Amino acid sequence: MAGMIEARKLSYAASRKPILRDLDFVVEANDFVLVFGANGAGKSTLLRVLAGMLRKSTGEVRLAGRGLESYSRRELATRLSYLPQADEFTLPLLVRDILLAGRYPYRSLFQKLTRRDMEAFTAGVAQFGLDGLLTRNIQTLSGGERKKVLLAGAFIQDVPLILLDEPLNFLDPGSARRLVRMLQELHREGRTIIVVSHEIERFFPLATKMLALQDGALRYFGARTFSTPLFQDVYGVPFQRITAAGREIIFVDD
Amino acid sequence: MSTTRKLWLLAGAVLLALAVTPFLGIIAIDPRAVLQQGPVSFIFWQLRLPRALLGFAAGGILALSGLVCQNLFKNDLATPDLLGISSGAAAGAVIALKFKVASTFLGSGGTALFSFLGALAAILAIFAIARMIRSSSLYTFLMSGIAINFFFSSVIVICQYVFDFTDTFSLLRWLTGAIVVAGYKEVFFLLALLAVFLAFVLMFREEFLLVAAGDDFALTRGLDVAAFRKYSFLGLAVFVGAAVSLCGPIGFVALVVPHVSRSWGGSRYRETAGLTVLLGGGLLVLADFLARSLLPPVEVPVGIVTSFLGAPFFLALLLSQLKRSA
Repeated sequence: MAGMIEARKLSYAASRKPILRDLDFVVEANDFVLVFGANGAGKSTLLRVLAGMLRKSTGEVRLAGRGLESYSRRELATRLSYLPQADEFTLPLLVRDILLAGRYPYRSLFQKLTRRDMEAFTAGVAQFGLDGLLTRNIQTLSGGERKKVLLAGAFIQDVPLILLDEPLNFLDPGSARRLVRMLQELHREGRTIIVVSHEIERFFPLATKMLALQDGALRYFGARTFSTPLFQDVYGVPFQRITAAGREIIFVDD
Repeated sequence: MSTTRKLWLLAGAVLLALAVTPFLGIIAIDPRAVLQQGPVSFIFWQLRLPRALLGFAAGGILALSGLVCQNLFKNDLATPDLLGISSGAAAGAVIALKFKVASTFLGSGGTALFSFLGALAAILAIFAIARMIRSSSLYTFLMSGIAINFFFSSVIVICQYVFDFTDTFSLLRWLTGAIVVAGYKEVFFLLALLAVFLAFVLMFREEFLLVAAGDDFALTRGLDVAAFRKYSFLGLAVFVGAAVSLCGPIGFVALVVPHVSRSWGGSRYRETAGLTVLLGGGLLVLADFLARSLLPPVEVPVGIVTSFLGAPFFLALLLSQLKRSA
C-alpha cells in the first residue's frame, strides 16, 4: 500500500544553491513525524515542498500514491493543510471568516455553505473552545490564540495530513501545552502530523517517527529512538534521557 | 450603530447630496425652473446633474480600487495613486490625446483604452521591481511607486511640451483631476462600470479574504493565489483606466475612503465594499461641489480639493504605521 506522503530522490535548490539533497522516505497514515535539524538544515523548505507551497523540486513527492504536481490547488487543500511559522495578518479579519475559509476548497463559486460545512465549523469551534473569539479581529488576539485559531482552521478544513512549522514559537508554557494537547488529540483521531520544531524535548515523547536533516541530506528517518550520537551529530551538543513521573524526558546535558 | 444601518444612512445621505448639490453653486437654481424650458433647466439637466453622477461613479470606482489594491498588497497604504497606477493611466490618456487617437478612430473609448494600457504598464513595472529584489515589503512598493510616478510624470510633461497652448490648459485641468461632462454617454458608461466592479468584488469576496490573510494561508486553503492576483490586477487596470481617462488621476480618494469604510465595516467584507462605494462616490460629489463654489468665479479642479484634504490624512496614516512597526 502506498504511504500517506512519500519522497523519492527529492531535491530542491534555490538560485542554484542546493537546499535539499536526494531525500527518500515514506510517511504512513497516522504517523506523528518530528522533523529536526540545525538552523539552515532545510527543515522549513522540506515542509513547504511537501505542502505544495514550493514547486519546481526535482525527484518526486507522492501524496496518497499520486504525484503532488497532479493535484489542483483545491484538491490538495482537501488532503493537507500547512501552518507556516509566522502568520501574515496585516489587515483586520474576523476569526469566524478565518475559520470558515477552511471550507473554501469544498465549495464552488456561488455555492452557499452546506450543512456539512456548518457541522465542521461548529465542531471545530467547540473542540478548540473558540466560541468567545468568533467576532473578534484576528489582529487583536494573542500569539497563542492565533495559533489555536489556525490549528482549528486546519481541523475545520478536515484534512488527513497536517504540516506545522515551529508551532510553539513565541508561546508561553501554558499556551504551548494547550497547543500540544490539541495536536495530540488530532493525532489520536487518526490524522497524520508532521511537525518541524527545535523543541524536540517537547515533541520527542509524542512522535512515532523522526526525520533528521543535516545540510539538506537525510541523516535519519525511522521509528522514534533515543540515539546519543544522532542528536550529538545533528545539534553538536550532548542529549540525555531520563524517565521521571512515568514520562520519558530528554534534555541537553550542559 | 449596526453596519447595516450605517449603510442605509449613508446611502440616504449620498442620495441627498446627489439631489441637492446640482441646485447649489455660483448660480443657485430654483427647483421650479428645472421643469421649464430655458437656460436654468439646461444648466441643471445638461451640466450639473450629469456632473454629480459622473463624480459619484468616479469616486466609487477609485475608492473601490483602493480597497482592492490594499487587499491584494495586504497593506493599507498600497493604493493605485501611491503605487503609480493612476499616473500610468494618466500618461496613457495623455498620449492618446496628444496623438489624437481618440478623435481619429476609437472615439472616447480610445482614451480609455490607452489609460488601461498605461495602468497595466505601471502594474507590470511594480511586479518586475518586486521580483528583481525579491521583496514585497511596504518600503519596496512605496519606493517603486515613487519611481513609477516620476517616470510617468516625465512622459506627461514631454507630451505637454509638444502640445498646443490651448490644449495644455485643458490638459493641465484634467491632470489635476476634474469632473468635466461631455454628455450622458460617459456618465452611464462609468456608472455601469462601477456596478460591474462592485459585483466582481462581492462575487469574489471569499478569494479576497483568503488573499488578505496571506499567501501561504490562501494557498493551503486551495486558492491559486498567483492566478487570482494576475486577473485581479488586470481588472483593476480596466476600472482605474476608465475612471482616470474621464476624470483625471484624482488623488487620495482611494487611500482615505477604504480606511474609513473598513473601520466602519468592522472587517465585514460585504458591508465594507458597499460603504466604500457610497463613501467614495459621496465624497467626490461633495468635493466637486466645493471645487466649483469655493472661489467664484474660478472653478478649482476637484483633485486639488481631495489632495488638500487627503495629504495630511496620508501623513497621519504613514506615521501610525511606522510607529506600529518600530
